[in-house]
Amino acid sequence: MRTVRLLLLVLGAAATAYGGWLLLPQLDAVLPWLIGGPVLHDVLVAPLVGLVGLALGRLVTDRLRLAWITAGLMASATLLLIAVPLLWRPPSAPPNPGLPDRDYPLGLAAGLAVIWAAIVIVLIVTTTEKKEP
Amino acid sequence: MIRRPRLPAPEDFTAPSHSPLVAARLGLWLGVAFGLCFATGLLSHFIQHPAGWFTWPTRPVNLYRVTQGVHVLSGVAAIPLLLAKLWSVYPRLFVRPPLRQPIRLSAHALERISVLVLVCAAFFELVTGLFNAAQSYPWGFFFPTAHYAVAWLVVGALLLHVAVKLPVARAALSTSLRRRSGLEATATGPDDRESAERRAFLRTSAGVAGIAVLATAGVTVPWLRRVSPLAWRSASGPQGIPINRTAAAARITVAPDWRLEIVWPGGRDTLSLAELAALPQRTAELPIACVEGWSASAHWTGVPVVELLRSAGAPTGRPVRITSLEADGLYAASTLPAAHAGDPLTLLALRINGEQLSPDHGYPCRLIAPSRPGVLQTKWVARLEVLR
Ligand code: HEM
Repeated sequence: MRTVRLLLLVLGAAATAYGGWLLLPQLDAVLPWLIGGPVLHDVLVAPLVGLVGLALGRLVTDRLRLAWITAGLMASATLLLIAVPLLWRPPSAPPNPGLPDRDYPLGLAAGLAVIWAAIVIVLIVTTTEKKEP
Repeated sequence: MIRRPRLPAPEDFTAPSHSPLVAARLGLWLGVAFGLCFATGLLSHFIQHPAGWFTWPTRPVNLYRVTQGVHVLSGVAAIPLLLAKLWSVYPRLFVRPPLRQPIRLSAHALERISVLVLVCAAFFELVTGLFNAAQSYPWGFFFPTAHYAVAWLVVGALLLHVAVKLPVARAALSTSLRRRSGLEATATGPDDRESAERRAFLRTSAGVAGIAVLATAGVTVPWLRRVSPLAWRSASGPQGIPINRTAAAARITVAPDWRLEIVWPGGRDTLSLAELAALPQRTAELPIACVEGWSASAHWTGVPVVELLRSAGAPTGRPVRITSLEADGLYAASTLPAAHAGDPLTLLALRINGEQLSPDHGYPCRLIAPSRPGVLQTKWVARLEVLR
């Protein structure tokens, strides 16, 4: 295990250094986009997720229901994130007439509707199953 | 009870999802997703910037379509996995550094820096990749080189991360999520609940990754076109295929006396469009497979490049440089490797799905070769040059 770890350490350091060297010419423009992710996540997203989790835990006492609602929220958040570049096109993006060629708000709404419909169905089925032992 | 607000400590986070049992498993899945991204990304890089030792097969014709589809979709799957992993290890952000022990402090600092690089780079790759897939570029850097450089940062920092975490990860991965650990076994109730919650968290993360893939895979998987609500683009457009770059955007004007020029060491020939159309034609079903992961197939009709060179008396079995009428731009020219130039399915296409190419599809003729990225399928071809 020691040799494996040492090998990983050397390879990892080499690849990181190579990446850094490749990145040097563009570092100024890239840096804000590199730092942005973790800062946004650690300062904003994670605390918010924690607060929502705490609130949800108080509001929904049934554990099965809580698990499914959590899953629905995670799936919805993921779809929303994937949709961001489709819904928000900053002006600096070059005009591209072949794109976008689909109705993204409709797609997002449909995706969210399917997820929550499925969760509602699952919850109804499981609660009725519980009531009939 | 009112407490003074303070920075949380790792012990303040009591949810079962914060266990190393969960973090290691999510890490493993992320490792697979990023590993697939890196391998397929390297392939795509070398196809576009071939090193001397690199060769890429022409068959199956969908090979690049598949590798690049895997690249983009494993990146999509990594989005919820990354967020789940970071949620699982969030308490560790608040680990207090061992200030009084200089040696341990410096090891701690190094580890922190490598983790910071890992998380920065992982976010960067997923965010820029996602925007690029939607063909949106809200930044000031050149996407391909930045995405490639940061890919090496991810892989390097990931190897460092695994080197550091290997003992914890091995212990965690070999501990069943169901079995209760010895210490906790006495307190049956809460421990059962905890392990159930860990499994639920992992199951949900995997499920959401699956949903994310399903929601986008229609960009490249034909039978999912109608299922995926967030596929970045459709598979239809003028003459059955969407257009990335219009003739107007590329500022193309085709002179009425346009002739295709064929050049080789020691010779030259030119052909009019009518002469090209009079040569034996071949129809092939080939995909346009964009680096952005999107792909769609069409029926292309034209002259196989290898036959064209033969009929002109040019040598075959060598790489061929294809130049567009486009005056400048990144993709005004491409080089067909010898394998592709010699493949009978590599066409100088005049027709798409039975119709003459429209100006936006590359009229008067365009290159279409099997198993290549769309950006290298040069449109509005002006010149073929057989290289040495
Ligand atoms: C892109 C991929 C990955 C990212 C972004 C990532 C991120 C992180 C972060 C930020 C931490 C907290 C660091 C700390 O302890 O201070 C962590 C911990 C950890 N990671 Fe990863 N990781 C990744 C892949 C992996 C892989 C491939 C494995 C190995 C199977 C792994 C196993 C672990 C383990 C065992 C921990 C410690 C959890 C604990 O002690 O509670 N990770 N990871």
